[in-house]
Amino acid sequence: MRKLSRNRRGITPVLSSLLMTVIAVAGMSIAITATYVITDGLHDNMGERLIVEDVWFTSGQVSLYLRNVGKVSIKVAVVYVNRTDQSFTSLELEQGKHGWLNVTYSWSADSAYEIKVVTRRGTNVVDYYMSPS
Amino acid sequence: MLWTITCRRLKRDRRGISNIIVIALSLVIILAIVSNIVLWNYEMNQVDWEKMRENVIITNVERVTGSQFTFENDGGLTVHLVSLWIINSTDHQNYDISVFINSAETKNYLREDISLPTGGYTVKVVTERGNTAVYSGS
Repeated sequence: MRKLSRNRRGITPVLSSLLMTVIAVAGMSIAITATYVITDGLHDNMGERLIVEDVWFTSGQVSLYLRNVGKVSIKVAVVYVNRTDQSFTSLELEQGKHGWLNVTYSWSADSAYEIKVVTRRGTNVVDYYMSPS
Repeated sequence: MLWTITCRRLKRDRRGISNIIVIALSLVIILAIVSNIVLWNYEMNQVDWEKMRENVIITNVERVTGSQFTFENDGGLTVHLVSLWIINSTDHQNYDISVFINSAETKNYLREDISLPTGGYTVKVVTERGNTAVYSGS
Protein backbone atom coordinates (compact mmCIF):
# COMPACT_ATOMS: atom_id res chain seq x y z
CA MET A 1 0.00 0.00 0.00
CA ARG A 2 2.78 2.44 0.86
CA LYS A 3 4.51 1.60 -2.41
CA LEU A 4 1.32 2.19 -4.32
CA SER A 5 0.58 5.50 -2.62
CA ARG A 6 4.18 6.66 -3.22
CA ASN A 7 4.53 5.45 -6.79
CA ARG A 8 1.67 6.78 -8.88
CA ARG A 9 3.32 6.33 -12.26
CA GLY A 10 1.13 4.42 -14.75
CA ILE A 11 -2.15 5.14 -13.00
CA THR A 12 -3.34 7.66 -15.60
CA PRO A 13 -3.12 5.25 -18.58
CA VAL A 14 -5.02 2.63 -16.56
CA LEU A 15 -7.74 5.12 -15.64
CA SER A 16 -8.03 6.41 -19.19
CA SER A 17 -8.28 2.87 -20.57
CA LEU A 18 -10.94 2.04 -18.00
CA LEU A 19 -12.87 5.19 -18.84
CA MET A 20 -12.64 4.46 -22.56
CA THR A 21 -13.91 0.92 -21.97
CA VAL A 22 -16.87 2.23 -19.97
CA ILE A 23 -17.67 4.79 -22.71
CA ALA A 24 -17.36 2.15 -25.43
CA VAL A 25 -19.64 -0.29 -23.57
CA ALA A 26 -22.18 2.48 -22.89
CA GLY A 27 -22.10 3.56 -26.54
CA MET A 28 -22.63 0.02 -27.77
CA SER A 29 -25.48 -0.49 -25.31
CA ILE A 30 -27.19 2.65 -26.59
CA ALA A 31 -26.65 1.54 -30.19
CA ILE A 32 -28.04 -1.95 -29.53
CA THR A 33 -31.05 -0.55 -27.64
CA ALA A 34 -31.75 1.90 -30.46
CA THR A 35 -31.49 -0.95 -32.98
CA TYR A 36 -33.95 -3.01 -30.94
CA VAL A 37 -36.41 -0.12 -30.59
CA ILE A 38 -36.27 0.78 -34.30
CA THR A 39 -36.69 -2.79 -35.56
CA ASP A 40 -39.38 -3.55 -32.98
CA GLY A 41 -41.41 -0.52 -34.08
CA LEU A 42 -41.07 -1.43 -37.75
CA HIS A 43 -41.97 -5.05 -36.94
CA ASP A 44 -45.17 -3.96 -35.24
CA ASN A 45 -46.12 -1.56 -38.05
CA MET A 46 -45.58 -4.19 -40.73
CA GLY A 47 -47.27 -6.97 -38.78
CA GLU A 48 -50.65 -5.28 -38.25
CA ARG A 49 -53.60 -6.79 -40.14
CA LEU A 50 -57.21 -6.07 -39.35
CA ILE A 51 -60.54 -6.98 -40.94
CA VAL A 52 -64.10 -5.80 -40.41
CA GLU A 53 -66.21 -8.95 -40.26
CA ASP A 54 -69.57 -7.32 -39.83
CA VAL A 55 -71.26 -3.95 -39.57
CA TRP A 56 -74.51 -3.62 -37.67
CA PHE A 57 -76.55 -0.42 -37.71
CA THR A 58 -78.52 -0.20 -34.49
CA SER A 59 -80.36 2.66 -32.83
CA GLY A 60 -77.97 5.60 -32.46
CA GLN A 61 -74.86 3.57 -33.10
CA VAL A 62 -72.93 1.57 -35.66
CA SER A 63 -71.28 -1.62 -34.41
CA LEU A 64 -68.31 -3.05 -36.22
CA TYR A 65 -67.04 -6.54 -35.54
CA LEU A 66 -63.26 -6.51 -35.89
CA ARG A 67 -60.82 -9.40 -36.09
CA ASN A 68 -57.10 -9.14 -35.64
CA VAL A 69 -55.54 -11.33 -38.35
CA GLY A 70 -52.05 -9.88 -37.97
CA LYS A 71 -48.99 -10.82 -35.97
CA VAL A 72 -49.22 -8.18 -33.25
CA SER A 73 -51.89 -6.84 -30.92
CA ILE A 74 -53.85 -3.80 -32.09
CA LYS A 75 -55.61 -0.88 -30.46
CA VAL A 76 -58.18 1.20 -32.26
CA ALA A 77 -57.22 4.87 -32.12
CA VAL A 78 -59.76 6.65 -34.33
CA VAL A 79 -62.96 5.81 -36.18
CA TYR A 80 -64.15 8.04 -39.02
CA VAL A 81 -67.67 7.94 -40.42
CA ASN A 82 -67.86 9.98 -43.62
CA ARG A 83 -64.45 11.46 -42.79
CA THR A 84 -65.53 12.79 -39.40
CA ASP A 85 -64.11 11.20 -36.27
CA GLN A 86 -66.67 9.69 -33.92
CA SER A 87 -66.70 8.57 -30.31
CA PHE A 88 -66.42 4.84 -29.75
CA THR A 89 -65.88 2.24 -27.07
CA SER A 90 -62.21 1.47 -26.54
CA LEU A 91 -61.08 -1.76 -28.18
CA GLU A 92 -57.79 -3.63 -27.94
CA LEU A 93 -57.38 -6.97 -29.68
CA GLU A 94 -54.62 -9.48 -29.11
CA GLN A 95 -53.37 -11.60 -32.00
CA GLY A 96 -56.24 -13.74 -33.40
CA LYS A 97 -58.86 -12.12 -31.16
CA HIS A 98 -62.08 -10.41 -32.23
CA GLY A 99 -64.75 -8.16 -30.79
CA TRP A 100 -67.36 -5.44 -31.25
CA LEU A 101 -66.43 -1.83 -31.72
CA ASN A 102 -69.41 0.37 -30.92
CA VAL A 103 -69.41 3.75 -32.63
CA THR A 104 -71.90 6.37 -31.54
CA TYR A 105 -73.50 7.77 -34.68
CA SER A 106 -76.96 8.92 -35.73
CA TRP A 107 -77.34 7.27 -39.09
CA SER A 108 -80.08 7.62 -41.68
CA ALA A 109 -81.85 4.74 -43.35
CA ASP A 110 -80.82 3.52 -46.79
CA SER A 111 -77.61 5.54 -46.99
CA ALA A 112 -74.04 4.65 -47.77
CA TYR A 113 -71.42 5.43 -45.14
CA GLU A 114 -67.68 5.48 -45.50
CA ILE A 115 -66.31 3.95 -42.30
CA LYS A 116 -62.61 4.05 -41.58
CA VAL A 117 -60.95 2.36 -38.61
CA VAL A 118 -57.44 3.52 -37.74
CA THR A 119 -55.18 1.74 -35.27
CA ARG A 120 -52.68 3.35 -32.91
CA ARG A 121 -49.81 2.42 -35.26
CA GLY A 122 -51.58 3.94 -38.27
CA THR A 123 -52.95 0.88 -40.04
CA ASN A 124 -56.38 1.63 -41.44
CA VAL A 125 -59.30 -0.28 -42.89
CA VAL A 126 -61.83 1.66 -44.93
CA ASP A 127 -64.98 0.56 -46.74
CA TYR A 128 -68.49 1.67 -47.66
CA TYR A 129 -71.48 0.20 -45.85
CA MET A 130 -75.19 0.59 -46.56
CA SER A 131 -77.54 1.27 -43.69
CA PRO A 132 -80.77 -0.77 -43.66
CA SER A 133 -83.91 0.75 -45.10
CA MET B 1 6.46 -15.36 -45.09
CA LEU B 2 4.40 -12.46 -46.35
CA TRP B 3 1.70 -13.26 -43.80
CA THR B 4 4.22 -13.21 -40.95
CA ILE B 5 5.55 -9.84 -42.06
CA THR B 6 2.03 -8.41 -42.30
CA CYS B 7 1.19 -9.72 -38.81
CA ARG B 8 4.36 -8.19 -37.36
CA ARG B 9 3.62 -4.86 -39.01
CA LEU B 10 0.09 -4.91 -37.65
CA LYS B 11 1.35 -5.65 -34.15
CA ARG B 12 3.84 -2.79 -34.31
CA ASP B 13 1.69 -0.21 -36.03
CA ARG B 14 -1.71 0.06 -34.35
CA ARG B 15 -2.75 3.37 -35.87
CA GLY B 16 -6.22 3.20 -37.48
CA ILE B 17 -7.26 -0.02 -35.76
CA SER B 18 -10.03 1.69 -33.78
CA ASN B 19 -11.54 3.06 -37.00
CA ILE B 20 -11.70 -0.43 -38.44
CA ILE B 21 -13.35 -1.75 -35.26
CA VAL B 22 -15.93 1.07 -35.31
CA ILE B 23 -16.75 0.40 -38.96
CA ALA B 24 -17.03 -3.34 -38.33
CA LEU B 25 -19.37 -2.86 -35.36
CA SER B 26 -21.49 -0.33 -37.29
CA LEU B 27 -21.76 -2.78 -40.17
CA VAL B 28 -22.88 -5.50 -37.77
CA ILE B 29 -25.61 -3.22 -36.37
CA ILE B 30 -26.78 -2.13 -39.83
CA LEU B 31 -26.79 -5.74 -41.03
CA ALA B 32 -28.82 -6.78 -37.98
CA ILE B 33 -31.43 -4.05 -38.64
CA VAL B 34 -31.68 -4.70 -42.37
CA SER B 35 -31.83 -8.50 -42.12
CA ASN B 36 -34.43 -8.30 -39.37
CA ILE B 37 -36.67 -5.99 -41.39
CA VAL B 38 -36.20 -7.90 -44.64
CA LEU B 39 -37.05 -11.24 -43.01
CA TRP B 40 -40.14 -9.83 -41.28
CA ASN B 41 -41.26 -8.15 -44.50
CA TYR B 42 -40.84 -11.46 -46.31
CA GLU B 43 -42.97 -13.20 -43.71
CA MET B 44 -45.76 -10.60 -43.94
CA ASN B 45 -45.67 -10.74 -47.76
CA GLN B 46 -46.11 -14.49 -47.44
CA VAL B 47 -49.17 -13.89 -45.22
CA ASP B 48 -50.69 -11.49 -47.78
CA TRP B 49 -49.89 -13.82 -50.65
CA GLU B 50 -51.59 -16.73 -48.90
CA LYS B 51 -54.62 -14.54 -48.18
CA MET B 52 -54.89 -13.65 -51.87
CA ARG B 53 -54.76 -17.31 -52.88
CA GLU B 54 -57.68 -18.27 -50.64
CA ASN B 55 -61.08 -18.76 -52.21
CA VAL B 56 -63.89 -20.30 -50.23
CA ILE B 57 -67.55 -20.45 -51.32
CA ILE B 58 -70.74 -21.27 -49.46
CA THR B 59 -72.57 -23.42 -52.00
CA ASN B 60 -75.61 -24.40 -49.96
CA VAL B 61 -77.41 -23.76 -46.69
CA GLU B 62 -80.16 -26.13 -45.59
CA ARG B 63 -82.64 -26.35 -42.77
CA VAL B 64 -82.26 -29.82 -41.25
CA THR B 65 -82.23 -30.69 -37.55
CA GLY B 66 -80.52 -27.37 -37.01
CA SER B 67 -78.65 -26.08 -40.05
CA GLN B 68 -76.30 -27.61 -42.58
CA PHE B 69 -73.80 -25.50 -44.46
CA THR B 70 -71.86 -26.65 -47.52
CA PHE B 71 -68.47 -25.04 -48.05
CA GLU B 72 -66.27 -25.40 -51.10
CA ASN B 73 -62.60 -24.52 -51.20
CA ASP B 74 -61.70 -23.30 -54.70
CA GLY B 75 -58.31 -21.95 -53.70
CA GLY B 76 -54.93 -23.56 -53.68
CA LEU B 77 -54.46 -23.66 -49.93
CA THR B 78 -56.15 -25.35 -47.00
CA VAL B 79 -58.52 -22.90 -45.35
CA HIS B 80 -59.46 -22.65 -41.71
CA LEU B 81 -62.94 -21.24 -41.11
CA VAL B 82 -63.07 -19.50 -37.76
CA SER B 83 -66.29 -17.53 -37.70
CA LEU B 84 -69.87 -18.05 -38.90
CA TRP B 85 -72.46 -15.29 -39.11
CA ILE B 86 -76.22 -15.61 -39.47
CA ILE B 87 -77.57 -12.18 -40.33
CA ASN B 88 -81.10 -10.97 -40.88
CA SER B 89 -82.84 -7.62 -40.56
CA THR B 90 -83.14 -7.86 -36.77
CA ASP B 91 -80.15 -9.86 -35.61
CA HIS B 92 -76.47 -10.43 -36.36
CA GLN B 93 -75.51 -13.72 -34.72
CA ASN B 94 -71.87 -14.81 -34.55
CA TYR B 95 -70.65 -18.36 -33.89
CA ASP B 96 -67.04 -19.40 -33.36
CA ILE B 97 -66.28 -22.41 -35.52
CA SER B 98 -63.20 -24.38 -36.49
CA VAL B 99 -63.49 -26.08 -39.86
CA PHE B 100 -60.54 -27.04 -42.04
CA ILE B 101 -61.17 -27.53 -45.76
CA ASN B 102 -58.47 -28.84 -48.05
CA SER B 103 -57.90 -27.44 -51.51
CA ALA B 104 -60.64 -28.45 -53.99
CA GLU B 105 -62.64 -30.10 -51.21
CA THR B 106 -66.35 -29.66 -50.46
CA LYS B 107 -67.40 -30.08 -46.89
CA ASN B 108 -70.78 -30.23 -45.15
CA TYR B 109 -70.94 -28.62 -41.75
CA LEU B 110 -73.88 -29.48 -39.54
CA ARG B 111 -74.84 -27.38 -36.53
CA GLU B 112 -77.84 -28.60 -34.57
CA ASP B 113 -77.77 -25.57 -32.27
CA ILE B 114 -78.16 -23.05 -35.11
CA SER B 115 -81.60 -22.43 -36.52
CA LEU B 116 -81.93 -20.29 -39.60
CA PRO B 117 -84.23 -17.27 -39.30
CA THR B 118 -87.48 -17.09 -41.21
CA GLY B 119 -87.50 -14.73 -44.17
CA GLY B 120 -84.40 -13.44 -45.86
CA TYR B 121 -81.03 -14.07 -44.27
CA THR B 122 -77.34 -13.89 -45.04
CA VAL B 123 -74.76 -16.45 -44.00
CA LYS B 124 -71.15 -15.34 -43.82
CA VAL B 125 -68.01 -17.30 -42.99
CA VAL B 126 -64.62 -15.83 -42.18
CA THR B 127 -61.30 -17.58 -42.63
CA GLU B 128 -58.35 -17.36 -40.29
CA ARG B 129 -56.43 -15.36 -42.91
CA GLY B 130 -59.23 -12.79 -43.07
CA ASN B 131 -61.25 -13.67 -46.19
CA THR B 132 -65.03 -13.92 -46.18
CA ALA B 133 -67.64 -15.86 -48.14
CA VAL B 134 -71.27 -14.78 -48.25
CA TYR B 135 -74.48 -16.67 -49.02
CA SER B 136 -77.94 -15.15 -49.24
CA GLY B 137 -81.03 -17.30 -48.71
CA SER B 138 -84.64 -17.15 -47.60
